[in-house]
Amino acid sequence: MKRIQIFFYGIAMFAFTACQKEFTNDQPTGTIKFTFTNTVKGIPVQLNTGIYTNNFGEQYNISKFKYYVSHPGLSNTSSTATNKDYYLIDENIASSKSISFDVPVGSYTAIKFLLGVDSARNVSGAQTGALDPLNDMFWTWNSGYIMAKMEGTSPQSTIINNKVEYHIGGFAGANSVLKNISIVVPVSSLNMIDIREGKISEVFIEADFDKWWQGSYDLKIADVPSVTMPGTLAKSISDNYANMFSITDVQNY
Amino acid sequence: MKTRVIILFFSVVVLSALLISACKKNEVVAENFGPYNPTYLSFNIPNGWPVPATNIFADNPLTEQGFQLGKKLFYDGRLSKDGNFPCASCHQQFAAFATYDHDFSHGFDNAFTTRNAPALFNLAWMDKLHWDGGINHIEVQPLAPITAPNEMAETIENVLNKLNADTAYPAMFYAAFGNGGITSQRLLKALAQFMGTIVSNNSKYDKVKRGEASFTYSEQNGYTVFKAKCETCHKEPLFTDNSFRNNGLAVNPYLNDYGRMRITNDKNDSLKFKVPSLRNVMLTFPYMHDGRIYSIGQVIDHYRSGIITTQPTLDPLLINRIAITNTEKNDLIYFLNTLTDQQMTADPRFSAN
Repeated sequence: MKRIQIFFYGIAMFAFTACQKEFTNDQPTGTIKFTFTNTVKGIPVQLNTGIYTNNFGEQYNISKFKYYVSHPGLSNTSSTATNKDYYLIDENIASSKSISFDVPVGSYTAIKFLLGVDSARNVSGAQTGALDPLNDMFWTWNSGYIMAKMEGTSPQSTIINNKVEYHIGGFAGANSVLKNISIVVPVSSLNMIDIREGKISEVFIEADFDKWWQGSYDLKIADVPSVTMPGTLAKSISDNYANMFSITDVQNY
Repeated sequence: MKTRVIILFFSVVVLSALLISACKKNEVVAENFGPYNPTYLSFNIPNGWPVPATNIFADNPLTEQGFQLGKKLFYDGRLSKDGNFPCASCHQQFAAFATYDHDFSHGFDNAFTTRNAPALFNLAWMDKLHWDGGINHIEVQPLAPITAPNEMAETIENVLNKLNADTAYPAMFYAAFGNGGITSQRLLKALAQFMGTIVSNNSKYDKVKRGEASFTYSEQNGYTVFKAKCETCHKEPLFTDNSFRNNGLAVNPYLNDYGRMRITNDKNDSLKFKVPSLRNVMLTFPYMHDGRIYSIGQVIDHYRSGIITTQPTLDPLLINRIAITNTEKNDLIYFLNTLTDQQMTADPRFSAN
């Protein structure tokens, strides 16, 4: 009788532990939340209705703005904690703009993530979740993910319906647009990222679309209203947009 | 005492089931479909064939249920916008899963495709698909024809909606993949299970290699010609080396198709197209990426005298064209006829149910 009971409790224990497989070691963890705010020069993006002007004097609006954030994590001088998941930040979907995951307890000084989808995942067949082709971020004729996408219109665009379309992708070779983003919490911040057991910390991240236009490459709508394939243009734009992120605030709740 | 044990047992079972189900989000309750018990299949590599560079089934375990689901999808017009264009409309089994007697295939709203439909067999050995190699995995291949406006012209979202509304598919997806419903990933994995297991290895050539048949005098002579003049690119036993080469065709002014360069952005890849397998070549006419050459004899004539030798990216093997006498040409055609695999083209396992 006793043995049977132990056996049953064993099954119950197994059922409980089956849910917990993120961290196999016994390190206590807390939750980190990244909240993205997409802006143009600090003003939150208003899809479709917002009219913006770049530094070349070109007017445009934004109808779609989305990008992949992969393997987000935190780091300090001695350690790095990374999540293995993929997230699609979509300006049109409010819930997509906050991502949460658990990391070991500790004090962290920087955030990091891959802007885009790593090359292995681009060549591994049909995916699901954030990487589902239903999300309209996968090229069907030249297999690979669109890492970041902006669509809109501009009077300066010379193509059909004054479209502006930047579908930025390419994961291989010299024209890879993959960007490892690492941002140190600014000295002006009142808080470091202090992960405590069972508690939530939140990092507020601004993504300034205006950075797409300038950096190492001058992107002018009049010259290049559309980029929809991998290549040197996509690479140049990615070199620009790699600088669009900044940390605006850190809160430990 | 016994009652207590039973109560304890059931409470633990119920609790465990609740907890385990709590781990899985958004899953369809599958009680109507019975137990999930797929029949696993193995993919057999024919004797003497190379092991595929990538195991396309590594993350997609082959099952009978997955294969049957993939087959049903392959033959189902609902994957297209107006219901008229299943995969099988352009990939006909009797034509080795190419489009018989068509340079271009027909798509939605009287549209034509812009390239000749490739035959589908031995795909497990093909790491890049399409004439330009733009598709890097068999699982993501169907996304191209399903969504192309001149082919099936449908969205994946609509396809999933149609399948969800069907009486048979939800149970078939469950039988193949278990809980989790109908997703694009499962749709694509099922199609990969069907297409990826179509193997052509029962032509007369294969039977000769296995000692089950013998070549005629002309076929043997043709094989000798083939070995000397064709085999570098059309490498045995797959009869392709899966490379991309420029074989000296003029640019079609209507299509302006520069092949692999569109994918790689490398001018060295201008006018390069995938070397197609010669297996079942007698069934896959017309030939070339745009179906411009109608008969196999004319193809041989192209290599003898038609190659444009001034293109900078012309394959180095073709700079002097290929010297083939009329006798050799005739023998070669006899040999190429031995590559037709009627067992595969008539195999009911690959036919619509």
